[in-house]
Amino acid sequence: MKYDHDVIIIGGGPSGSTFARAVAAEGMDVLVIDKRKEIGVPVRCGEGLGQREVISQGLEIPRQCYSTEITGAKVIAPNGKSIVWKDDNTKGWVLERKIFDKWLCELAIEKGAKVKTYTRALEVLKDTHGKINGVKLSHGGREPYDIHAPLIISAEGMESMMARQMGFKTVHSLYDVDTCYQYEMKPYNHENLIELYFGNKIAPRGYVWIFPKCDKKANVGIGIGGNLINGKKGGSAYGATEGTIDGAAPKHLLDEFIKNNEQLKDASTLVDFGGIISVGAPIDEFVKDNCMVIGTAAKQVDPIHGGGIALAMESAMLAASIVLDAYKEKNYSKEKLFEYDKQWRATAGKKVAKRLMLRKVMEKVSDDDLNHIFNSITDHDLEQTMEGKFAGPVAKIIAGRPQLLGVLSALLPGKK
Amino acid sequence: MITIKHEGCIFCVGCSSVCPANAIEAVGTRMEIHPEKCIDCGLCVKACPANVITLHKGIKNCRDLPREDKDDKK
Repeated sequence: MKYDHDVIIIGGGPSGSTFARAVAAEGMDVLVIDKRKEIGVPVRCGEGLGQREVISQGLEIPRQCYSTEITGAKVIAPNGKSIVWKDDNTKGWVLERKIFDKWLCELAIEKGAKVKTYTRALEVLKDTHGKINGVKLSHGGREPYDIHAPLIISAEGMESMMARQMGFKTVHSLYDVDTCYQYEMKPYNHENLIELYFGNKIAPRGYVWIFPKCDKKANVGIGIGGNLINGKKGGSAYGATEGTIDGAAPKHLLDEFIKNNEQLKDASTLVDFGGIISVGAPIDEFVKDNCMVIGTAAKQVDPIHGGGIALAMESAMLAASIVLDAYKEKNYSKEKLFEYDKQWRATAGKKVAKRLMLRKVMEKVSDDDLNHIFNSITDHDLEQTMEGKFAGPVAKIIAGRPQLLGVLSALLPGKK
Repeated sequence: MITIKHEGCIFCVGCSSVCPANAIEAVGTRMEIHPEKCIDCGLCVKACPANVITLHKGIKNCRDLPREDKDDKK
């Protein structure tokens, strides 16, 4: 059959644009569609991005794409004790996602990709043998039309409706999401550090973050475990399940935090935004015949901090290299594309799996134990923990409080 | 079925990412509900960070909604 394009990418976020750029540069005919009227809007993100990930891709981020540079992180325990962690690994940016997303998209266009905004995918098209061969699109709710391509990429982010139609299990469970609310606030005097406040009272199974931005602005947000929320309108119809916290809506808790913060209680808000973040395991399979899922749609998100941009761009580059290989042979079978699945799980997947383990342990720790943990460890231990080397920090923590061994033993090697 | 107070909606599509029945979809600049697909599970109600979704258990028809929620039916 005659195809309109070599590949259709659904979603013009960081993963979609990065993928489009990489394959268009090698001469593939690419169409990117995005349902939003404007690429990058609305922003639903804390906007933090580590420098290390981007440099490894050979990208140089122009000045207008980020609001400020960050030098490190400050982690604050429930009792107020803080650990500052500053080194080359913690350098990064707080982005202006509106501009950053558009810039990434423009790079793809410069390489020859075609981008269409305000265009929604309604349906995945299949031929008489059930083979995926295109999508039904609609521009701004107008008359739908069909576009055909031998390969469809879902880079849709959290929503992933088309990925579901392709047969991927991308529905999120409440246990594996954090629901978040965020304000952009001013004025806030920061030290160019990302601040993270932990505590079961402040943010059950999550944290409050303050990401610095330019001109004394900051993104102040909260993420809490999706399964812990109760006492919301309609939610109570199901009765409180054990362990839920009454009235623990993210906005409510964030307002509470701001009220108790010396600097923020008088600050103004510039933007209200929110969303939900995946903090669970990636989906079981990323590829099927003639289709692939990349980025957040495949739940390739860091389960500890909920960051998805770096992982999305990384997986998009990997997927693009596999697709270019398949393009040469004009073979988009599952077997051919599976290399992406295999390689991702062997590299980034391992890191994500360790972080997931850490998240599941962290959510069992009480405030008192958290205070003890913060008292026992240093910034070096934090670094070790984030790199997945748990043995050293765990030994230090257990030395002072052996009863924590039961919870933390899951992190030690040789145990499941 | 569920209703959404669109005025407070921050368009984060959280509801549709947890919906097991594909009953909520982002269309244009707002969330659209398909009452015929909704299975009354209430997951979207819990996931909504802006707290704007209400569940009306057992109601299948917009006509049976309480008066104050009728405007939010779509």
